[in-house]
Amino acid sequence: MDNNYNTIIIGAGPAGMEAAYRLSVFGIRTCLLEKEAETGGHLLKWDRIFPEGRKASEILGFMRKRIESGNITTITSARIDSIRKKAGNGYEAELATNEGKKTITADTILIACGFKLFNAAKKEEYGYGIYNRVITNADLENLFKTNSTGSIIGENRTPAVGFVHCVGSRDEKAGNRHCSKVCCATAVKQAMEIKEAYPQATVYCFYMDLRMFGRHYEDMYLEAQQKYGIRFIRGRVSEVSEDCNERIVAKAEDTLSGKPVKITLDMLVLMSGIACNPDSGKITGSLSIENDSDGFIKYADSIFGQVKGPGIFTAGTCTGPKTLPETINEAGEAAAVIYGYLKGNSNNF
Amino acid sequence: MEDRIPGGYDNFVIPFLAGMAFILAYCIAKLIGIIMHMPSDDRKKLLLSLVNPRIIAKNIADIFSDCLLHVKIFRKNPKLGYMHMSIAFGWFMLIVIGHMEVAEFMPEKLHTFYYPIFFNYFVLKTADSGTALAVYEFLMDFFLLMVLSGVGIAVFKRFRSSIVGMKRTTRPLTRDRIAMYALWAIFPLRLIAEASVAGTGGGGFLAMSIYKAISPLMPESANVLPIWWAYSISLGIFFFMLPYSRYMHIPTEAVLIMFRNAGIRATNAETGFSLLEQYSCSTCGMCIDACPMTNIAEGEKNASVYFIRNLRYGGGKSSTKSIANACLMCNKCVAACPVGINSCELKRRYRSADYDGMPARQYGFVPSMETHPATIGNTAGNPCMEDHGNRISASYAIAGTKGQSRGVDSKPHKTASCKQNEDNVYNKKAIYFSGCMTQLTPSVSRSMERIFKAAGIDYSYMDRDGGLCCGRPLMLAGNDRDAASLIEKNTGIIETSGAEILVLSCPICYKVFKENYRLGNIRIMHHTEYINGLIESGRIKIRRTDEKLAYHDPCELGRGCGIYDEPRKIISAAGHLAEASENRESSICCGGSLGSITLTYDQRSKVTQAALESLACGSPDRIVTACPLCLKTFGTYSALPVEDIAFTVARSLEN
Repeated sequence: MDNNYNTIIIGAGPAGMEAAYRLSVFGIRTCLLEKEAETGGHLLKWDRIFPEGRKASEILGFMRKRIESGNITTITSARIDSIRKKAGNGYEAELATNEGKKTITADTILIACGFKLFNAAKKEEYGYGIYNRVITNADLENLFKTNSTGSIIGENRTPAVGFVHCVGSRDEKAGNRHCSKVCCATAVKQAMEIKEAYPQATVYCFYMDLRMFGRHYEDMYLEAQQKYGIRFIRGRVSEVSEDCNERIVAKAEDTLSGKPVKITLDMLVLMSGIACNPDSGKITGSLSIENDSDGFIKYADSIFGQVKGPGIFTAGTCTGPKTLPETINEAGEAAAVIYGYLKGNSNNF
Repeated sequence: MEDRIPGGYDNFVIPFLAGMAFILAYCIAKLIGIIMHMPSDDRKKLLLSLVNPRIIAKNIADIFSDCLLHVKIFRKNPKLGYMHMSIAFGWFMLIVIGHMEVAEFMPEKLHTFYYPIFFNYFVLKTADSGTALAVYEFLMDFFLLMVLSGVGIAVFKRFRSSIVGMKRTTRPLTRDRIAMYALWAIFPLRLIAEASVAGTGGGGFLAMSIYKAISPLMPESANVLPIWWAYSISLGIFFFMLPYSRYMHIPTEAVLIMFRNAGIRATNAETGFSLLEQYSCSTCGMCIDACPMTNIAEGEKNASVYFIRNLRYGGGKSSTKSIANACLMCNKCVAACPVGINSCELKRRYRSADYDGMPARQYGFVPSMETHPATIGNTAGNPCMEDHGNRISASYAIAGTKGQSRGVDSKPHKTASCKQNEDNVYNKKAIYFSGCMTQLTPSVSRSMERIFKAAGIDYSYMDRDGGLCCGRPLMLAGNDRDAASLIEKNTGIIETSGAEILVLSCPICYKVFKENYRLGNIRIMHHTEYINGLIESGRIKIRRTDEKLAYHDPCELGRGCGIYDEPRKIISAAGHLAEASENRESSICCGGSLGSITLTYDQRSKVTQAALESLACGSPDRIVTACPLCLKTFGTYSALPVEDIAFTVARSLEN
């Protein structure tokens, strides 16, 4: 079997899959590597995607269909043992796959290794992993998917549910100064979904400030307040405890009224932010490109992004938090730049 | 034996005498000034200590071991210890034996002060002196050789400090250099001077052999006076420079020991006892290697030695302040200091000057004692709270926040009655105060609740439903006055609870409760002490696994309160203890310390990484600590799982 490709794509999440598809359209042969058993990345964990609430499974199905091409070799459960520049041009990677060890070579590399969801247990004051009723945004998506919010909330048809924004984002103490960009809209989306499932529920969102920056996001925010009556409290939750009925007691400060609030909840959802994927450091380290102090891969140019080294490119959240449409856009752009590079145009700016 | 020089005097003794007179006058004047600036209570303590035989004995022992033999430095660094011991003890012996020699052979000259110093110049040794003289001469040369070997190391160390195992040391100021060169010159000059007159003044093996080597080269009429002048001048320069240089620690340290043994502590950063501490700092720089801030770029400038140097010589105010505010208050420098200067306390006192004249806070939002859930058996208002029994009248005295802190070398006090009641201590009603930090680490407080229940303890949870700060963070910031009002409120709640044991999860709280609260007969225990007691008395049983557990000594628990063994016993009961490379007194601050006011999170993370590296030394499976703040700080950066010791125990419970 021929193990030479034009491009090795590391990571078969939305960015990697979309780039593979775009490159295949140009007739470029790619090898799409995924460490998990399935393609899809974080899309696999999500139920619905904001702003319109489209089903993640539907988006993923569409994307998977698009990478069924003769130009794309997809290898799942792949581990990269080493990756390095070959003498002369191109790159070489040694893989451990289900079919054993394998060496592949390519002219270019596209890093699309994505992000890691912040480990909410690190913010121990929120009690994730300690109190049963404290879950993360990803856990809630899974509950929606499996239609099992009742496993946390119980039979109560009038539950009180809280959402904590910025868990591990914009938090110097947690080691992440950056805004994760997608959590505000996700929290508003999930809060509305809770209200749809439990119309009698009281839902609180504890936020620092709402960053509803995208098109239609502000509409979601207004809808959440007007149609669903979701209560937005500006202030960080300071500590969380459990009462004798194992319900959650969250303490926060309502900074708009300047008063401390203490709310008893049936479920508390922590909006875990986008943190850098620590594996990206291993890849960039062996390709001698840099990661920033926040752990994300450095853009070579703050305006035009892209080009890292000769033949090394990035797409998606490995260079910082992005929404799904932004990721898809960047994957397309990366494909275009790679195409240009392979055609001998190294002036990508 | 008789005078070689008629009248037994020469002008060359003048530099020495002038220097000696100057330094004596200076020291006496300073000492009076220091005593005058101390609070009258402290003056009383000092006076009482001078007639207390126990303290007198301790003074003598401490002065001998710390000022002369330098046992503390020896323990940490034998080469450096030898250097100090040889110079200090050797010089001391030269002075003592020199005087004994004069007393033996020329007793009428003892009063002249200079005679013992320049003995060999002034005497004409005659054969009738016998073996006694030979012994004296041997001893004098032996100790001179000892001093010279120390000076040799000192000179070498100046150029290559790594030879004595110090990675970093201070750069001496010009004034220090002048005194230093004078000190270096004294002993070689003394040797050459004594050798020059060994033909008539006699001499031991050292002086005599040099005399024999050089005498053929010297004309018969050679004038030896210049060399004696040089010797005397170097002594004079050294004495004149003493008050303006690092060497002031030589006369001061003994006084510091006496004051400290009398129970006197710094009450501010600039006068009284703290002045004594400043003078006692030899700027040796051992605190630089100890300081965790050396892991931060340019963090070295924040070492305690520079703080004290600034205080003493009136360095730039801003820089003194920036050091004081950056300090993590981890007390590592205090543990490393061979003189035992409590520089963290000096910095804390320095910070407290910022609060002078500021209005005290009222804490009006704090619930009153009467309505606090821990003090009333009101199950209706608070369904989760156990019944707390009878209320007792709240009569509490607020502990003074001044002068209460114990040195790092002191052991936590266990009164005799506590010891006697050790066995039934767990039958007593306990009150658990988790503290603010533990509120943020529910794994700790939940583990404690599980342990209390497993052991069948009658306890109440003082701040389950919200509580007050213990006051220590305010004290670390220098705000003792506001801390006192929190202490007053908490004292009331605890005394009214009727509990006999106060259990704390947070070492920060533990330290302030031990030192600044006056809780009468209520025993104060950190949960490491309490849990260890529960295990040892068989009240709880835990499974032992093969896991390797690294233990991190929290600053406030280890260096702060002297608790090192209890947590290690617990860990050994639950798994295998893997010691960190820097442990116990040398444990590195986790970086999260409340002590620092100005360090950024980036800077703190460098300290955290250093601590984690040290903990990873024994390749453990987990890191265990006993402080909620360390737990949170490590949790952010550690690749290994981090847990509190209470959690380790709770997950290993068998009953």
